[in-house]
Amino acid sequence: MAQIEDTLRDRFGDTLVLPPPIEPDVVSESSVSIGASHAGYSSRGVERALAMAESVAQQVTSEALRGRVVECIPSALRDDACVDATVRRWGRALWRRPLDEEEVQPLVTLAGVAAETTGDFFAGLAQAFGALLLAPDFLFRVEVLASEEGAAPLDAYPFASRLAFFLWGVAPDDALLDAAGRGALDDSAQLRAEVRRMLDDPKARRGLRSFVSDWLRLDRLDALSLDAVRFPSFSPELGAAAREEVLRTAEDLVFDRGADVRTWLTLRTTFVNRRLAALYGVPFPERGAPHDRFVRIELPANGARVGLLGTAAFLAGNAHPTATSPTLRGKFVSQALLCRAIPDPPVNLNTAIPEPSAEAITLRDRLRAHAQDPGCASCHKLTDPQGLAFEAFDAIGRHRWEDEGAPIDASGTWNGVRFADAAELSVLLARDERFPRCVTTKLLAYGLGRVLGSDDLGEVDRLHDALAAGGYRLRGLLEAIAMSASFRAAHAPDALTTEAP
Amino acid sequence: MKALDRRALLQGMIGGALVSIALPPLAAMMNGNGTAYAGASSFPKRFGVWFWGNGILPHAWVPSAEGAAWELPPIMAPLAAVRDRLLVVSGTRVATLNTTPHEAGPAGLLTGDQPRNGTMAKETLDQAIALAIGSDTRFRSLEAGVQKATGSLSHTGPGLMNPCETDPHALFQRLFGGGVQQPGATADPRLGLRPSLLDAVRGQALRLRAKVGVEDRRRLDQHLEGIFALERQLQRQAVSLSCAPGAAPPEDLPDRDGRPAMHERSRLMSELLTLALSCDQTRVFFQMYSQPINNTLFGTAPAGHHQLTHDEPGEQPIVLEILQSIMADLAGFIAALGSVREGDGTLLDNTIILATTDCSFGRNHSLDEYPILLAGGGALGLKQGFHLRARDDNASRVSLALLQTFGVRANEFGVGPGRVTEPLTGMFV
Repeated sequence: MAQIEDTLRDRFGDTLVLPPPIEPDVVSESSVSIGASHAGYSSRGVERALAMAESVAQQVTSEALRGRVVECIPSALRDDACVDATVRRWGRALWRRPLDEEEVQPLVTLAGVAAETTGDFFAGLAQAFGALLLAPDFLFRVEVLASEEGAAPLDAYPFASRLAFFLWGVAPDDALLDAAGRGALDDSAQLRAEVRRMLDDPKARRGLRSFVSDWLRLDRLDALSLDAVRFPSFSPELGAAAREEVLRTAEDLVFDRGADVRTWLTLRTTFVNRRLAALYGVPFPERGAPHDRFVRIELPANGARVGLLGTAAFLAGNAHPTATSPTLRGKFVSQALLCRAIPDPPVNLNTAIPEPSAEAITLRDRLRAHAQDPGCASCHKLTDPQGLAFEAFDAIGRHRWEDEGAPIDASGTWNGVRFADAAELSVLLARDERFPRCVTTKLLAYGLGRVLGSDDLGEVDRLHDALAAGGYRLRGLLEAIAMSASFRAAHAPDALTTEAP
Repeated sequence: MKALDRRALLQGMIGGALVSIALPPLAAMMNGNGTAYAGASSFPKRFGVWFWGNGILPHAWVPSAEGAAWELPPIMAPLAAVRDRLLVVSGTRVATLNTTPHEAGPAGLLTGDQPRNGTMAKETLDQAIALAIGSDTRFRSLEAGVQKATGSLSHTGPGLMNPCETDPHALFQRLFGGGVQQPGATADPRLGLRPSLLDAVRGQALRLRAKVGVEDRRRLDQHLEGIFALERQLQRQAVSLSCAPGAAPPEDLPDRDGRPAMHERSRLMSELLTLALSCDQTRVFFQMYSQPINNTLFGTAPAGHHQLTHDEPGEQPIVLEILQSIMADLAGFIAALGSVREGDGTLLDNTIILATTDCSFGRNHSLDEYPILLAGGGALGLKQGFHLRARDDNASRVSLALLQTFGVRANEFGVGPGRVTEPLTGMFV
């Protein structure tokens, strides 16, 4: 949904005032991008879309904005030629393709009649904008094939949309639509030039943020809620700050430094505001800075807190409101970073963890009971060993030395190698070849907005090889995906309805 | 016409005092002797689901005695004031496969099918009933929530979720702000232009519809249905003009120490839903009190609700306390409907509330002994102050009985193990 708002701001400027989002994001297969491929608009959503359409239409035809939106000067109250030109220009921008004659005409008539009714050319034009913005062609991404033959690739315009939403998180700009119109996207060299232009554009940072947010499910941090009695430093703004830390780190890694993506797990450099600095126990270098100011800092060189898995986004985002969860943290490591499938617990399972007792004080000891039951162990052995490495961080992500008064053991074994704490585990994970392959899988699935199947494994292999050959730089992977055959191929939506057994 | 001063009322509520509301349908809408809406033969029938997440404790849920002489079990203790308006249906199970914890239960009860690919296999019970009784009001149905989250169980079809509104101010605006012209206010000039705008959009949607595949056609139809609903809202505006809602509620209620103000939020949303129903803005609602698997910190509980259902040892006294606080909020909603007079009875008499949750025993996600608590509906013949004990029956039969009560011509409900062809007997007098 953010794509709609971001596209409007991109096209009409940051001064645009937008009402609340039309629909909540739908998550499918742990991805908003994939969820959007299936979701529709509810009646409430269409109501909200109308409110958005009318509000934006009124603003873009207001005296403040009409100068940059309407290129002609209306010669009369009803000036069909001026409306026609405006509708064609902005219709192409908003629907991401040129409009047919039969699509333009009704809007010209709509605007003309409304102009005569209201006695105001621009009030009439606002009607045409309203209809452009409420139309499914704006609210949905319509993917059309280049021809009606079986395995035809996408038509150039929907392909341009796919590129822009993937690399920028917003609709194509005029230059990209022009390129689609003259067939430049069908030529490999011209396509590469266009993709590189897009990656050089500052909008590529927003596109990256959007992917990282989807991949690591940073949207969940909006609802981050911790017991404020147990965690006095918790505040409702913590979730947003934790997300910003990860997104700034990603931008820095990919676009500012062009670094190996695997180093994300072992970095000692991060970006914090005062709240996060206090949580991490590091001095904030700027006195009296506002709360939303983020600065680059270095984490202590020998501490357990390092890289992506040392952030509050990971540590607090995968915990319970009052307690840590080695299982949730371990599951995140397995699923998000290594793309290992973790089965959901059996439906009728008794999942109670024993209370602290004299024999089993720490959570590690109490979870051992799970590990002894073979039914529990089959899954928990996939999550808990790496999750327990983070027990030295409490549910909000603050470093701690004790659990229920007993010392913490954060050691374990990964791929047969011993690690002493979370920092050592992160080093092992960064060397695990499943990590860059998983990043490749996640990025491709995000770009295509669908779950990858066995047919896609060859493409993932090829892209992973390209990533490795390019020094594991994500910018190269973004380019390789945008250039890949999979990215140009159409894919029928998976049917949501299946016959009952 | 005297407008109720809603602001004063709501301030009292935020201060924590329980304020009962009294919102009689306005005389303009009634016939001469006040027994029915003008031009209608009787008061409209309403239906709504009141849902909370994380199940129940079976040992504290089922009343020990059957029939009219039952006593409130521990979880239902806070419902004492409305006990005589309840119909507890025990002894049924959701028979569809327990595929996904917290999802399979409500999907089974509301669609008669298991959830498929993370969404409902078909429209949910509330939407099936809305198709039958929702076409005469501005909103075919309203989805609200107390916990701040947008997820919803109400579905118009697979992948077509009806998100819930959890901000009382936004819900008020949707009901009475923006597009609705307040008595005495200057007309919004855009309103007159809206029909032709919607017409143009519909034309474009139909052009597009002709070009896409079956699966996408379904999504476009939903968009078209939304456009149609907007047109209907414009036509129904005259009706809403006769109901004076008063001032808007506050922007939103903040959490306190990381704990949401569930009771205060619930009172506000109950008020607004009551207002929406008594002003005949809608006849179908879905109240998501809390979400499946929610980890809300209730009261002074030491951990989130979902976590406690799994981790609290023994008979789970803290979970019991949480359930009781949820039932207290349900009691508040039932009482709010009961306080609105409609002719010889009340709004509650003309409304059936289905209160239910996402599984039976939260600890193991069982679907046996499925929690089904009905309230109100006396004028529709629903038994009042009664405990109906079924004998290991299919919960789909309750859904079928409700469908038929609201005039849905259905002689079966559900598929596979969830399919039934006979409604549960004994629910109605």
